[in-house]
Amino acid sequence: MSSIQLRNVTKRYGQTEVVHEIDLDIAEREFVVLLGPSGCGKTTTLRMVAGLEDVSDGELSIGGRVVNDVAPKDRGVAMVFQNYALYPHMSVRQNMEFALRPLKLDKSEVNRRITDTADILGLGDLLERRPAQLSGGQRQRVAMGRAMVRTPGVFLFDEPLSNLDAKLRTQVRWEIAKLHKRLDSTILYVTHDQVEAMTLADRIVIMRDGYIEQTGTPEEVYAHPRNAFVATFIGSPAMNMVPATVREGQLAGDHVNLPVPGRLADRVAEGQRVTIGIRPPDVSLVDEGTAGALAATVEVTEYLGNEALLDIRIGSHEMIAEVPASRRPAEDSRVFVRFNSDAIRIFDAETGESVNA
Amino acid sequence: MAYSRKRNRRIFLGFMVPAILVLFCTTIYPMIYAGYLSFRSYDLAKLFVPRVFVGWANYREILSSSEFLHTLTVTFKLMLMTLSVQLVLGVGMALLVTQRLPGMGIIRTLLLIPMMISPVIVGLVWLFLYFPELGYLNYFLSFVGASPVPWITSTQWALWAIAIADIWQWTPFVMMGTAAALTSLSQEPYETARIDGNSNWEVFWHVTLPQIKPVLISLMFLRAIDAFKIYDIIFVLTKGGPGDTTEVLSMFIYRQSFTFWRMGVGAAASFVSLAIIVILITLFFKSLSRDPQPA
Amino acid sequence: MNKLGTRQTILVYLLLAIVLIVFLTPIYIIASSSVKPTPIMFQKPPALLFSPTWDHYIALFSDRPFAKFIGNSLIVALGSTAFSLTFGSLAAYAISRIKHRRMGDVAFWILSMRMFPPIAVVVPYYIIFKTVGLLDTPLALIIIYSTVNIPLTTWLMKGFFDEVPTALEEAAAVDGHGLLSSFWHVTLPLAAPGLAVSAVFCFIFSWNEFIFALMLTGSNAQTATVAVMSFWSSDAVQWGRIMAGSFIILIPGVIFVLTCQRWLVRGLTLGSVK
Repeated sequence: MSSIQLRNVTKRYGQTEVVHEIDLDIAEREFVVLLGPSGCGKTTTLRMVAGLEDVSDGELSIGGRVVNDVAPKDRGVAMVFQNYALYPHMSVRQNMEFALRPLKLDKSEVNRRITDTADILGLGDLLERRPAQLSGGQRQRVAMGRAMVRTPGVFLFDEPLSNLDAKLRTQVRWEIAKLHKRLDSTILYVTHDQVEAMTLADRIVIMRDGYIEQTGTPEEVYAHPRNAFVATFIGSPAMNMVPATVREGQLAGDHVNLPVPGRLADRVAEGQRVTIGIRPPDVSLVDEGTAGALAATVEVTEYLGNEALLDIRIGSHEMIAEVPASRRPAEDSRVFVRFNSDAIRIFDAETGESVNA
Repeated sequence: MAYSRKRNRRIFLGFMVPAILVLFCTTIYPMIYAGYLSFRSYDLAKLFVPRVFVGWANYREILSSSEFLHTLTVTFKLMLMTLSVQLVLGVGMALLVTQRLPGMGIIRTLLLIPMMISPVIVGLVWLFLYFPELGYLNYFLSFVGASPVPWITSTQWALWAIAIADIWQWTPFVMMGTAAALTSLSQEPYETARIDGNSNWEVFWHVTLPQIKPVLISLMFLRAIDAFKIYDIIFVLTKGGPGDTTEVLSMFIYRQSFTFWRMGVGAAASFVSLAIIVILITLFFKSLSRDPQPA
Repeated sequence: MNKLGTRQTILVYLLLAIVLIVFLTPIYIIASSSVKPTPIMFQKPPALLFSPTWDHYIALFSDRPFAKFIGNSLIVALGSTAFSLTFGSLAAYAISRIKHRRMGDVAFWILSMRMFPPIAVVVPYYIIFKTVGLLDTPLALIIIYSTVNIPLTTWLMKGFFDEVPTALEEAAAVDGHGLLSSFWHVTLPLAAPGLAVSAVFCFIFSWNEFIFALMLTGSNAQTATVAVMSFWSSDAVQWGRIMAGSFIILIPGVIFVLTCQRWLVRGLTLGSVK
């Protein structure tokens, strides 16, 4: 297990800068997820840690050693690739042996490690097969196994679940979570799927356009998004965003008029254009005449078992409410909803920054 | 994305060095040497004449000699004869072997055999067929009512005799390349055309041909480059004769250098041939990069 | 291509039968004439049924040291193939992996080396080899054939290396392997079909070649093609021996066509058709 430090790490291809002066500290044994939409620089960052891309500027250290000019093979990392990158001409066992060869272990140790890893991952019966004879899920596990046998200080995952179907994805996610507890390795994991990030990470690093937008535990980034981008990227269904203007202590938008929550009153200025953020579970159905009730039309209802999602329209705004399934209204009916004022978040419309804290 | 650390780049360059060094020593250097020779009088037949710098004299000599210009004409005439027949026959055969019928795989394979045969052997077997008085070709042709043709002994037929041997060997090449292009074509335009009620000929001319045109052009340039270098078959069949009817450029160079031992003149002719081949090669590469191949 | 009716199907097969007859007859003639007694060599109509004779083959090997000439052909072909595969694959790997806009030009330059007319450089070769004493040695031919075979191998192997996913090499790199190890254990085995095709083409070209062999070798390093040609002279053409020799020379080509025809298309068209 090794710590990882990035100091002003920058990546340029020719004139184009794709990763801008990133600072990040990853502690030993920490599970950190780089999360963001495609093209945000998360994979490039991971590949710089692996040594597959040169660092253009800044300093990258693994285990306290600056590794900018260290070849991938000497960094003590192991990586699980998006398409697994299994050697197609080698059996599962040979794939693992090949990964162990540079460590120059004796034969019995090599066999012990392969057997142990195969047991953990349930690959025991597949050792003599070629990758082409394996299912997608099995290949995924072989890719992890090949990384695990090396007992690396740092484990890198590049969207390892993106080629699996939904059911398998959930299952492998559990396995990765269990493995992390067992392996004691530092893990850096790249994904664009916020569910993976929320369920696996000790800490999430949310990236966009080559910048880090926010770093924090899953709870922090969910409950205290620093800006509108993080707010909408984390959480499913996404946070509702309603444009409004601050007028005389009220948040005034199209058919929306809410008092500025007391705790935020001195953080907004009269006339400031803002975006109100409210998560679907914080939009509740109320009776007509309740204080703060807003009239809405139910366009579509989605029944999910325990809850139901309502696509509702307030004036020109479409938003989603999550309500107990038993209370879901009929489609096309008129209802009244209220935003839980403790949960309201306000973002500056210009900068997207949260005014909450 | 490329895995491109600087250190690797140095190793990669190291990988290229041996090949480039070998090619330089074995191709560029002899060419430069040929260039040097072409400006000298290098006459092995006249041992005591000094090998002196003669400027453009060798070039002036060949470019003003009707003999050299004649060999150029013959070379291009032969190229035109073989290419046109190979194109038409090759495309026709490709249309046949791409029909979805049983046995096509083995037929295509069998037709590849002529290309793998040494050109000398091709020349010899055709010599056997053309052989005056004895050859079987005239005998076979007599069945379709043709009178005997003096294939390699008449100025009228000798060039065709060579062309036929080359056509026999290389038409399968055009067929094979065209067939590969045909099989990779999308089926949709054909279905549309069929629904629209176009005739087979219209479909071929307006749908198929435009799509395989880039491949055909590349194939033709490859053939042209080879046809320009044709040598072995002529050496076996006619040695350039009768007279100089089949004396192509390669034959001229050979004769100047190894029959008359006038190495300087041979080298100058070599350089002219290099210049022409460079043009053909450039056109071939242009044809490769202009149109994306149908995948 | 739509489905054919019965009449069209018959027509297709009929035309193909003619095509096959035209293109295979010369090969049949080589094979049959090599075992035909000399008196009926040109008999008309051709004798289809005759008791084959091995006289021509026996004479071929007893008149001249034809076995030695075949040996020379093999040495030259195998030597040039080994030489070209080694240098060509290394260069191809570099060209395939270096991402630089001039790399395309380098590849084209190397390929163009293959296309130059051999006759244009035979004069300098003759003089150079004469000077360094390599005339009439197998090494001279190995060197010369490599000038054709290295470019061909480079060009073909580049195509095959391009198809090996770089992710596999990256996996090898983070697994602790250096460039050479990942090339040797991962990339090269996956490009093995390319090596096979290149080897076939190098071998066949060298085996079949005639002009250089004719001009640069004498009795010592003579190859089979030149030897066969020597049975032909203006006063006497020994057809039996020529056909027997020709048949032996065309065997490798036929074997290669029948065993790896799937790959030959790509090799012959220099990848302009896949």
